[in-house]
Amino acid sequence: MLSYIVRRVLATIPVMAVVALFVFSLLYIAPGDPAAVIAGDQATPEDVERIRASLGLDRPFLIRFGEWAFRILQGDMGNSIFTNLPVTTMIAQRIEPTLSLMALTLLLAIFIAVPMGVVAAWKQGTIIDRAVMVFAVLGFSVPVFVVGYLLAYVFALELDWLPVQGYTSFSEGLWPWLENLILPAIALGGVYIALIARITRATMLEVLSQDYIRTARAKGVGQRGILFLHALKNAAVPIVTVIGIGIALLIGGAVVTESVFAIPGLGRLTVDAILRRDYPVIQGVVLLFSFIYVLVNLAIDLAYTLFDPRIRY
Amino acid sequence: MASAHTAPLGLAPGAAAPSGPPQEVAAAAPMPDVLPAVKPRKGFVGFIRRHPTIAIGGFLLLVMLLIAVFAPYLGTVDPTALAPARRTREPSAEYWFGTDMLGRDVYSRVLYGARVSLIVGFAVALLSSVVGLAIGLVSGFVRVLDGIVMRIMDGLMSIPPILLAIALMALTRGSVRNVVIAITIAEIPRVSRLVRGVVLSLREQPYVEAAVASGTRMPVIILRHILPNTLAPITVQATYICASAMIIEAILSFIGAGTPPIIPSWGNIMAEGRALWQVKPYIVFFPAVFLSVTVLAVNLLGDGLRDALDPRMAKRL
Repeated sequence: MLSYIVRRVLATIPVMAVVALFVFSLLYIAPGDPAAVIAGDQATPEDVERIRASLGLDRPFLIRFGEWAFRILQGDMGNSIFTNLPVTTMIAQRIEPTLSLMALTLLLAIFIAVPMGVVAAWKQGTIIDRAVMVFAVLGFSVPVFVVGYLLAYVFALELDWLPVQGYTSFSEGLWPWLENLILPAIALGGVYIALIARITRATMLEVLSQDYIRTARAKGVGQRGILFLHALKNAAVPIVTVIGIGIALLIGGAVVTESVFAIPGLGRLTVDAILRRDYPVIQGVVLLFSFIYVLVNLAIDLAYTLFDPRIRY
Repeated sequence: MASAHTAPLGLAPGAAAPSGPPQEVAAAAPMPDVLPAVKPRKGFVGFIRRHPTIAIGGFLLLVMLLIAVFAPYLGTVDPTALAPARRTREPSAEYWFGTDMLGRDVYSRVLYGARVSLIVGFAVALLSSVVGLAIGLVSGFVRVLDGIVMRIMDGLMSIPPILLAIALMALTRGSVRNVVIAITIAEIPRVSRLVRGVVLSLREQPYVEAAVASGTRMPVIILRHILPNTLAPITVQATYICASAMIIEAILSFIGAGTPPIIPSWGNIMAEGRALWQVKPYIVFFPAVFLSVTVLAVNLLGDGLRDALDPRMAKRL
């Protein structure tokens, strides 16, 4: 097992290298002249040349990539074109709201979606099952910012239960923090809940048809015991896998959700950076999120080997 | 799907013998109405009956397509015509969906917006399917390249699609073409992984082995045995990609990284309505409804196609 863990950890290195190489080479892949695009329409030829030099586009690709990768490994993501601050500093200032939002959404989604999927599988074919499936299709179809505006309109503007926009740091208390994040978390969680509920239902249906479930029933195990102790435990691997993969949806959705609810996080940083064509910042955010995504899925993979004795490598 | 639960318990095993055409059964022995004779209807009507999700999704999508094509004839005005004198009018008989901050008619903009969404959705679905198919075939057949190609795909898949598209759009000028390219690049890995999986499992099939053994040349095998079998899963995947592309396009435009503001796309209309949404929510509301309904239609179509084309998959999800 130890050798598996080592191999699995080592296997993430080429993946991260590809991510880094790709994010870096976007500057070269993008159609048109990135330096001219970043400089904007009013730029003089000198401005364009200055930006070209600062991005290193005037030097050979491989040398430039080597230097860049070396600095990334040392934790230096370069400086913003607009503010000239180090990208790492800018990210550090904005990371708390984003991580708060994502963590809350993750918790919320798991606590809503897994029971939904379990009940749908248990009551297969009934109106409850149908309702869960309809919700799943809607969750996939209604974009996160649409849900966001709807929630904000109903619960913040009309009913006045929660604040419309903004963010309060966790250090100022649990409720002020939570109050601002509930609506964004529900909006962001929509797709994620749909995804997890659907997989939970499908896996549970499969597990519930297994012989050991019938045996448990014959033994006289109660319905709740069967569902949550026998079935859900055995259905855990695909569900947890999907929770890990779905984090990509959370990351993408966070960018938009933060715009709708005016949360000053990494999403807002990204959107501001797009408007200013501040590519080093965008690059930094993309790299950071991709690495988080790879690491989360690595952790989940490794967790299987610890929690599921059936998995042997 | 629910047959195991709803089947009457008292039914004797022999009573359900489904052999022979239904008419013969009815003539031979009039049975109690426990198991009504199933007469699968053929043709278009039968297909619709059996796959209601395809019917609903297809119908909604067709309506959107017609709206997009005939937008100029549906009582619209020039969607880019500015009229500062009549800005932010509430929806009324004259302006069905109201007017925006610059006095433009939201109804006309929303109808024309259908064009952008559908073009982006279809173009991305088609392009990423074709490119993904090619990469998947190469990866599945040329084993030397497989490792490298799949590592690259793993890396690409580790970048959340929206962020990948944002990064690409930050480096290019906003245009429908560039939006299509950006989203396609983000979606290719999923198709190529799918195709590779199908190819690898097909290569083990006896009929493919038989074809190889009888000396059929590789291109013929691919054309005759492999490609037809990848068609169904790719079609299903393509509908989901179409739905996700339409959402990503709207998101890109909404945050200002998509189509240029001059083009009326649903994301752009919502982006412009954003500043005023607390007082004039209708500017955001109408494009949001159209976008959601269109994506819903495509997703329903995808679910229906999946059930119809891949019964094994249908049982699982």
